[in-house]
Amino acid sequence: MLSIILLSIFGIVVLFLGFQKSKNILLPATLLCIAIAFAANFVHWNDAPGLYFKEMLFENRLTMSFSAIVLLSAFLVVALTRGFADDEAAQPAEYYAIILFSLVGAIMMIGFDNLIMLFLGVEILSVSMYVLTGSDKRNLRSNEAALKYFLMGAFATGIMLFGIALLYGATGSFNLTDIRGYVGTNSFSISTLLYVGLLLVLIGMLFKVSAAPFHFWTPDVYDGAPTVFTAFMSTIVKTAGFAAIYRLLSGSFEGIYNFWWFTLAAITILTLVVGNITAVYQQSFKRMMAYSSISHAGYLLLSLTAMTAQTPDAIVFYSLAYSLATVSAFGVLMAVAREKSVQSHENAEDFEAFNGLGKRNPLLAFVLTVSMLSLAGIPLTAGFWGKFFIFGTIVERGNLIWMLIVAILMSAVGIYYYFKVIIATYMKDGETGALRVPPFYRIVLIVSTTLTLLFGLIPKLLS
Amino acid sequence: MFPQVAPSIPQVIQLIPLNNYLWLSTALFVIGIVGVLTRRNAIVVFMSIELMLNAVNLLLVAFSSYRSDPTGQVFVFFIMAVAAAEVAVGLAIIVMIYRNSRSIDIGFLNKLKF
Amino acid sequence: MNLLLLIPLLPLVGFLINGIGFKHIPKSLVGVIGSVGPVVAFILSIYAFGAFRAGNNAPVIIQLFDWITVGTLNISFSFQIDQLSLLMLLVVTGVGSLIHIYSIGYMSHDAGFGKFFAFLNLFLFFMLLLVMGSNYVIMFIGWEGVGLCSYLLIGFWNKVTNYNNAARKAFIMNRIGDLGFLLGIFLIIQTFGTVEYLPVFEKAVGMSVGDSAIAAITLLLFVGAMGKSAQIPLYTWLPDAMAGPTPVSALIHAATMVTAGIYMVVRSNVLYALAPDTLEIVAIIGLATALMAASIGLFQNDIKKVLAYSTVSQLGYMFMALGVAAYSSAMFHVITHAFFKALLFLGAGSVIHAMSDEQDIRNMGGLRKKLPITFLTFLIATIAISGIPPFAGFFSKDEILAHVYEHNKLMWALGVLGSIMTSFYMFRLLFLTFFGDFRGTHEQAHHLHESPISMTLPLMVLAVLSVVGGFMNVPHVLGGHSALATFMDPLFANAQRANPALFEHGHLDHSTEYLLMGVSVGAALLAMGAAYVLFISKKNVPAADGQESGLQKVIYNKYYVDEFYEAIFVNPMRKLSDALYSFGEFIVDGLVKGAGGLVKLSSGQLRQLQTGETGFYVFAMVVGITALLLWNFGAIIFK
Repeated sequence: MLSIILLSIFGIVVLFLGFQKSKNILLPATLLCIAIAFAANFVHWNDAPGLYFKEMLFENRLTMSFSAIVLLSAFLVVALTRGFADDEAAQPAEYYAIILFSLVGAIMMIGFDNLIMLFLGVEILSVSMYVLTGSDKRNLRSNEAALKYFLMGAFATGIMLFGIALLYGATGSFNLTDIRGYVGTNSFSISTLLYVGLLLVLIGMLFKVSAAPFHFWTPDVYDGAPTVFTAFMSTIVKTAGFAAIYRLLSGSFEGIYNFWWFTLAAITILTLVVGNITAVYQQSFKRMMAYSSISHAGYLLLSLTAMTAQTPDAIVFYSLAYSLATVSAFGVLMAVAREKSVQSHENAEDFEAFNGLGKRNPLLAFVLTVSMLSLAGIPLTAGFWGKFFIFGTIVERGNLIWMLIVAILMSAVGIYYYFKVIIATYMKDGETGALRVPPFYRIVLIVSTTLTLLFGLIPKLLS
Repeated sequence: MFPQVAPSIPQVIQLIPLNNYLWLSTALFVIGIVGVLTRRNAIVVFMSIELMLNAVNLLLVAFSSYRSDPTGQVFVFFIMAVAAAEVAVGLAIIVMIYRNSRSIDIGFLNKLKF
Repeated sequence: MNLLLLIPLLPLVGFLINGIGFKHIPKSLVGVIGSVGPVVAFILSIYAFGAFRAGNNAPVIIQLFDWITVGTLNISFSFQIDQLSLLMLLVVTGVGSLIHIYSIGYMSHDAGFGKFFAFLNLFLFFMLLLVMGSNYVIMFIGWEGVGLCSYLLIGFWNKVTNYNNAARKAFIMNRIGDLGFLLGIFLIIQTFGTVEYLPVFEKAVGMSVGDSAIAAITLLLFVGAMGKSAQIPLYTWLPDAMAGPTPVSALIHAATMVTAGIYMVVRSNVLYALAPDTLEIVAIIGLATALMAASIGLFQNDIKKVLAYSTVSQLGYMFMALGVAAYSSAMFHVITHAFFKALLFLGAGSVIHAMSDEQDIRNMGGLRKKLPITFLTFLIATIAISGIPPFAGFFSKDEILAHVYEHNKLMWALGVLGSIMTSFYMFRLLFLTFFGDFRGTHEQAHHLHESPISMTLPLMVLAVLSVVGGFMNVPHVLGGHSALATFMDPLFANAQRANPALFEHGHLDHSTEYLLMGVSVGAALLAMGAAYVLFISKKNVPAADGQESGLQKVIYNKYYVDEFYEAIFVNPMRKLSDALYSFGEFIVDGLVKGAGGLVKLSSGQLRQLQTGETGFYVFAMVVGITALLLWNFGAIIFK
């Protein structure tokens, strides 16, 4: 819980650092803040689990793992913001502060023990994201993305709040443990309000993790937002969202599994199908990644639907694998598109941008390949084990094998569009001339790729 | 003879059955949803969303009073505060769009698609 | 025993060096770096083989580390060295080394020389992982890895879109197979609670014959084998895969990767022994594939396509052997086939190299004088594959046919028919390519030359192996000791305990065995004679595409015999061959393409939903919410 306090203070500090003339200190300072928060996250590792702030927040090793994933992804993404301050009109200090604040929201979502904290966490994270999405102020695409995200996000928040109100009406408390107690003791006379409320809260949360049919905002917002914040959204928001859904379902509603599993299963299948199939047609890499992120939400939901003892481990591993691969993919895209957009403003984010990358910069090509292989779930990358563990939970549940078949079929479809990227990288001819990559990028990309391969070789490291 | 004791506020609220509050706020909520669906002006859409939030507030207060439990009302304060923050950001976004495109009609915002 | 770890590690190191530094390493060094790994791995394999024989024949497990633990499931990263993996190791590293050396010469003019060696080494690494792993998960990882490398290497000359399509087709078909394999693994986890070979088989022995879970597992695994080993209906990718460079066809699509399916079934022999129904399916599919591919091969004119269909057909024979529980015969054929088919492909590569990338046998002819070494080795391989004694193919194929005969006489007859066709199309290929007059352009004639030593040396080595390879398993009836079968026997001890009935059949008496041999050898010689008459005495050349009737008239009208022959044999066979070809091409491909097209189509449709209108998005959400509410609470609302 120390990390929440630290991050809040750091956010304010970074904001004030912005008054300085030199903007160069901001990035290292922010990175340092995230690193400290990462370390502080583990302070209570040995005396977990524990409740903090008047039983508002909960912490155990699982929530710490989720927080660690969020902070690690944030660290990598923030390191990619180098060159951010070059833009005259940009206000880097504000963006860095907002990033730090949004992490507070994410950690609150991960460890909430009270629906008030869930709501606050979601809102802190979402409102920050609205701002960051629209941070490219003069670009109409960015504007459009921000407004769409904002309107739909606020709408979804409304739905979720209505659900929370109904849950409160049914149980008389916002506390997860109390709600669990209500569900446990009144198992034969549970108020309908609770069912409706749970459904609405779930819908609100599923919107945040872009599950179909609540996914429509995702491609447009991912497409329009500045790439670095797309990377931020697709890793941190998703991880925090799934941690929150897991916490909600396992913390309070395991007793009525029979009520929600089918709803979740239907949404899972829809998400898997829509995400994977629509991705096939995309020409823009960013939109493809958006649909791919929808499909990954589907795999994570798969494990939530199974809800076995292995589910939390599977979700943690999958989120980590997915976050690392996504950060590398967007990192490469930014390195390539940055160069390209200088020369011409068109199609900087299409697949063609990667043509001939294998010759121009073998390192970037390799990083991109590993990232795509990991997302596709090919062995010896972290993504393979992620899928393996997720599918393992389904097998453990036993009666959901049909979902497994759909999921494996859809992952076969996924290979098609991930390999399109690899083909463009190695097999198509594009521009020639070496591509220069800033050292910061190189470090981030090497770190995330190494971790992807390391966890692919030795998944046991994480336990 | 019998001194008229002014009823406490929860009792006043409880004069109306809980179900009526439930239906009223549901109706307000649905009106909000319909507003979001039908309106094209970003500000009006935004107001509709606010209406949804206020429907929730009403519901929470009603539940809170019936249960004589203050946490529901505390939640309402949080919602108000967060809604205010959302308004600030939302209006800023709308202003930004207006500056760039001279329009706040969400129907024209469809450059990002497929 | 830790030296064993080097076997898969060496190719990996080669891949890393060549893969990272291919721009900076001089060309002469790239080939050496690429080839050293496989050669040393081969030497180590021989050493391991010797050490194993000196030991007590029990499987050796080399535990590297505990890999993953999920609940009660514990998967370790470990290798298993036993008879089966040793044989595969020797074949993979041995043939692999030769093909690496060959590639130094063959690919020397290619711009992607370094990349090619890197991929080849990576392939070898995954293949070794596949055969050395001690559990199904490692096998699966190798399985996926070789698929990936095969995909990269088929599309190696990616400038041509067709080649990319071939690569993609191969990958998609393999994915269908992998789906089966993966489900099979999950089912194994559910049934046995482990994926390690030894405990799984130990537990399986106690189960009853015909157990439904085992039947499901074996069927699912077989689906995986069908994809990788190109069996009906997932075979059409293999002929298309010939788009890749010829050494790739030799290594991946003839000698090693495609036999992974057979390796898997032999590895799981206990499970298959418990599922007689699955075995029957395996045998039938193997037989059908063998016949179908052989008859398609009769009229192909692309030198590599003929060999590709021949590979499919030979794989069919191996599966037929598996289906009748003749596991060691199947492995025997895997080994001899690796020798002569790799030799055939490399020989074809040498021809293509000399012909300046011409692959159509109608434009060849008379090459025996210009390419003497290639011709001689190709001749040896042709004799070997046709099953003419005493070359390698005779022993292995004959053993399979003998086992099939014990199982079912009709299947045996059809198998002999297949080997007649094999002999015919192989000699047709040989005669058209190396005999008669040269039919190519002047430029090609001028350019004709024997290949460099780095290419002919592997040919010669493989030729020697194709000649003597059969003697490793000479049957008792011919005065041998069935050395290979004896060596492999311990592998099948569990299967024999689990289902003794499967292995009980009356031994053929010697006269029957002689008769069977005589029939198949006679048939092969007959087919050879027919090919000789047609393509050497009569100097027939297959008609050019599209003008068959015209040219055919000119050629065939001269001989009454030919017209008779054409009416009775050629036409029906050609029709059948064409029909089978189109079955593969249109039905199977159509299904696969159709599925792909369906995905694309629905992708295009689903994409239209993303209108960009916020209003529509919210509407979709509201519809979703309403649907969920109605689904869950409709009963209450409408009560």
